[in-house]
Amino acid sequence: MITRIWQTLTSGMSKYIIVRLLQIILVLYLYMTLVFIILEAQPGDITDIYTANPKITPEAKEAIKEQLGLDKPIYERYFNYLRNFVTGHLGCSFKWGNISPTPDPVCREQRPTWDLIKERLPRTVVLFLTYTIVSFYIGFFMGKLIAWRRGAVIEYLSTVVGVTLFTVFTPWFALLLVWLFAVNFGVVPIGGFINPDSWTNIRQVGSVDCSIGISCSNVVFNHLLLWLGGLTLFWGIVYLWSRRLPYAWQKRAVRWGAVALGLVLAGFFFGGGWPGEVDRVTLARDTKFQFFIWHFEFPAGTIPLFPLALDFVQHMALPILTLTLISFAGTMLLMRNTMLETMREDYVMAAKAKGLPDEVVRDKHAARNALLPVVTSLIFAIAFSVDGGVFTETIFSWPGMGQLLLLSALEQDYPVAIGALVFTGIFALIAHLVADILYAFLDPRIRYD
Amino acid sequence: MTTLTTYPVLQVENLTMHYTTRKGAVKAVENVSFSLDKGEALGLVGESGCGKTSVALTLLRLLPENAKFLGGHAYFFRDGSDEAHARRAVGKPVKILVDGQGYQGRLLELGRSEIVLEAHMDGRTQPVRLGRDQIARLGVDLTALSDEEMRPIRWKGISMIFQAAMNSLNPVYRVGDQIIEAMQAHMPISVPEARERVAQLFQLVGLDRQLMDRYPHEYSGGMKQRAVIAMALACDPDIIIADEPTTALDVIVQDKILREMRQIQKKLNMSMIYISHDIAVIAEVADKVGVMYAGGLVEFGPSEAIFKSPVHPYTKALMSAFPSIKGEKVKLTALPGEPPDLIKPPSGCRFHPRCPYATEICEREVPQFIEHKPKQYAACWNPLM
Amino acid sequence: MQAVPTFKPAEPIWRVRLQLFWRGLKSSWAMFAESKIGLTGLGIIIFFAFFGFVLWPIYPWLMEHIAWTPEELEAARNAPYGAISSIYQVYDPVVGYDPLIPGIENPSPPSRRHPLGTNQFGRDILAQLMASTSSEFMLGVLAAVITVVIGTFIGAITAYYGGFVDTFFMRLADVFILFPLVSFLIVLGSMIELTLIKLAFVLGILYGFGQITVILKSQALAVKVKPYIEAAKVAGGGHFHVIFRHIIPNLLPLSFLYMMFNVTGAIFSEAALSFFGLLPGIKVSWGIMIDSAHSGGYILGGRSFQNWWLWMPPGVAITLLCSAFYLVGRGLDEVVNPRLRKR
Repeated sequence: MITRIWQTLTSGMSKYIIVRLLQIILVLYLYMTLVFIILEAQPGDITDIYTANPKITPEAKEAIKEQLGLDKPIYERYFNYLRNFVTGHLGCSFKWGNISPTPDPVCREQRPTWDLIKERLPRTVVLFLTYTIVSFYIGFFMGKLIAWRRGAVIEYLSTVVGVTLFTVFTPWFALLLVWLFAVNFGVVPIGGFINPDSWTNIRQVGSVDCSIGISCSNVVFNHLLLWLGGLTLFWGIVYLWSRRLPYAWQKRAVRWGAVALGLVLAGFFFGGGWPGEVDRVTLARDTKFQFFIWHFEFPAGTIPLFPLALDFVQHMALPILTLTLISFAGTMLLMRNTMLETMREDYVMAAKAKGLPDEVVRDKHAARNALLPVVTSLIFAIAFSVDGGVFTETIFSWPGMGQLLLLSALEQDYPVAIGALVFTGIFALIAHLVADILYAFLDPRIRYD
Repeated sequence: MTTLTTYPVLQVENLTMHYTTRKGAVKAVENVSFSLDKGEALGLVGESGCGKTSVALTLLRLLPENAKFLGGHAYFFRDGSDEAHARRAVGKPVKILVDGQGYQGRLLELGRSEIVLEAHMDGRTQPVRLGRDQIARLGVDLTALSDEEMRPIRWKGISMIFQAAMNSLNPVYRVGDQIIEAMQAHMPISVPEARERVAQLFQLVGLDRQLMDRYPHEYSGGMKQRAVIAMALACDPDIIIADEPTTALDVIVQDKILREMRQIQKKLNMSMIYISHDIAVIAEVADKVGVMYAGGLVEFGPSEAIFKSPVHPYTKALMSAFPSIKGEKVKLTALPGEPPDLIKPPSGCRFHPRCPYATEICEREVPQFIEHKPKQYAACWNPLM
Repeated sequence: MQAVPTFKPAEPIWRVRLQLFWRGLKSSWAMFAESKIGLTGLGIIIFFAFFGFVLWPIYPWLMEHIAWTPEELEAARNAPYGAISSIYQVYDPVVGYDPLIPGIENPSPPSRRHPLGTNQFGRDILAQLMASTSSEFMLGVLAAVITVVIGTFIGAITAYYGGFVDTFFMRLADVFILFPLVSFLIVLGSMIELTLIKLAFVLGILYGFGQITVILKSQALAVKVKPYIEAAKVAGGGHFHVIFRHIIPNLLPLSFLYMMFNVTGAIFSEAALSFFGLLPGIKVSWGIMIDSAHSGGYILGGRSFQNWWLWMPPGVAITLLCSAFYLVGRGLDEVVNPRLRKR
């Protein structure tokens, strides 16, 4: 039994995943060491970095020092530094005050860094995942089509448009789009994450009391995130499992059935009222054109999640559009180039000789192989995407990790800035790992190294 | 002596095409004509770049964008009773074989019991009516079919084993799946049935059936070659074209595979076209041989006759270049010069600059492809008789 | 015994080398010139270079003689508030102002004296644009040169020595590739004050240890196994000789290529950082121009398209210059990578 498990673990896909995981942990370690070195290289005492805020009382300062081990010799400090990240002791924010009903014993009046990060990370994750998937798919699709139907005009146009979008200055472009869509056309809100007016009367969602401290929007948002994640996972697993089915009609039935099932369940969850306390929910449009104001009357003691979720969606629309526009061009150009190279391969000609329909040759044979270098490049572009996220979040006032990083840097709120930096790094690394696994899944050759 | 009655599967007439490049038109195939009967193995032999592969690609209509088809016919024959085949031929140029006589023209109407053909006879075109049951073989001109119309013929009518077969397997899919894909594109077959057939094919070509679920990079060179052969056989085609089937392999595997291919061909009574630059390979497998030079077919006939008494000087030179183990020690004669530039080929007979027997007429006029010896055709003004 | 005749070349070695180098350069140029993309990029770069280095110094003088009428000059010199003594005061990118335009009218639209208008403080936009060009160029080139120096050296060393050195630098490169650099720069900028030079160094180092090292290392590996390396060693060349005389010259074309992409990144990073106000040491740059337009509320205010000259030119300039270097890089790609050449 043990040998069977050992065999599966050390073969093919599993082995690859484990090896990559170990490598990533090593890289993470190097990164954190680097950050530590830079921190230490600052003029002045490292203690100051964490406690320089005049607002922090001397007792709090001592407590922080104690917790983070800032007064120990450098070797111990290094070890503590690493340990602290795992346990979540990242210092206290200078800027943000405490909002939870039970303040942190160390930070007292100030909000712990970890708390901030915990709150903001899901928002960035949602943004990042959505736009990565959308922009990748669009880039892949267009690149595939452009390469398959050659034409000098199309190639030139796509190169020009592609390069422009690829190198455009992100904050400027974001501002341009905000001005265009939010101010000029007025179809989307200018920025922000929620329209506070819609949420004022809600005091309780489900079993979570959010009248003070934890904001109700977080609760609903986390539910939204869970559902998005859960649905994607569910559909992904169904898709993978359905590949084993012998007949095409079976595959189709199962996949569409799963889609329908997921949507219906989501509909029930979000559409129905949740137990909670609210008088009446008014979803105000904070855009220029008030098409209508949605009133939702629900039986007393219930909250509709659907209109609240809609509030998030309308605020997400423009950031996602911006990020997608910037990112898809790179994918499209690369896909086009690799597709052109792949089309010259013998197996594409063989596929055509087998009498397969044109689209099948294009998609199943040429595009599928052209995909591989594109995914590789995506892996390298993750860092660039995360950076882009920082800019976009700031311009759109989307309260995620990126905005946290920038704001805290501007305010010289060092504990938060450093914490955000390391977590951004971790985030990028996890994205990298996922991309690596995806690549191994797509290219069987790499699994058998 | 019993004569095996055989019937034609392919008749190529005056096939001509060239490639357009920046430097000019490469006249790759010039007036190539040959025929292939059922159960026969035809070997197309010639130096690299003489147009052999282009002929094959023209038949399957797999030419690249810069290829221009200039004329000729390639009639692909099926039995007269094949309904689907006949329906495809409506409106297209066809060749109909009726009791030893052939009609060439355009198929106008396809009725239940008879057909109407707009035939070219004695220099005129006139409608001809023929009863369906009279028709022995119906051949449709492949060059007149559109890409979409070619699809049912590809692989099921004519399949191909490409040069450097290892590259014709897609690296990201399992080998068995790729063969199943070919089958499912042409016949209504369920996956379990297809898998069984793949297993049988693998057995036929000498591969372990478990290899079906492996990826191409897990195969060796010889195994890949066998897999590709199995794939070519998958839809039970009428003709298989094998383009340099063994060039990428080492000599021992080469020999083995050639022998096995020959066995399979005999066993299934397949019609095959072997393309190779290696005359030894052709000698081993072919019943009929076509020698190509600089885009044209210079000699064509039964392989034994060609090898024993070639008519065309180039064929003779090819034989001399190949030492025989059993025969006497002969000096290897190398042909002087190089294959001509196909953008500006030599005038008249394209071989004349290198031909030791060339005369003045060879430079002036292109020789006709005529039957100089029984069943042996050659295009030469000074044939070696 | 006769003395072994020594071979004396007809020409001095350095001249032969120079000739070969020159010839190689010419053929590379011919190949580069074939690609429309590369030429477009080069054209844009040359335009900007001209813009920033040639036009800028003479711009105020030019305006004085072309755009200003004598009456205006007179009025400016005698203005009741803020009279100017020299035209350079008008077109100074940091503290310039036009005495003939009262404060309320700023930002003023493009006019004869100010082809791209003035910003809300009265500074001439075109002057700011031009002044920044030179610093952008210098930053980009400096950062890129540092990157290339580091990358080439490290790439050659890791390929040559292998083993632990190899693993160490490759893992380090992993760190630099995977991590979002601008985010890092943002935090760094908040902790230490970055000037243009310091920024160039930081960028150079960050890029230098990253992707370029990996690529150059694989190239160096390909060079290392070539026969002439072994010949050099047999002839008695020491480690440094082999590395500097043989490996590194073969890496240079590729380094040059990636330098282009790094310039793009450097300019972009600088613009981003100055947009967010994290580069107090820099007085004028395109990023700062956009920032002042943004913080003045001129972009997202209701009628912002009326103030297009405030934020359009700098954004376009950044995009153009970045894409220009990228295009040149793509054009060079076809020279360096024979696989990509057209049939």
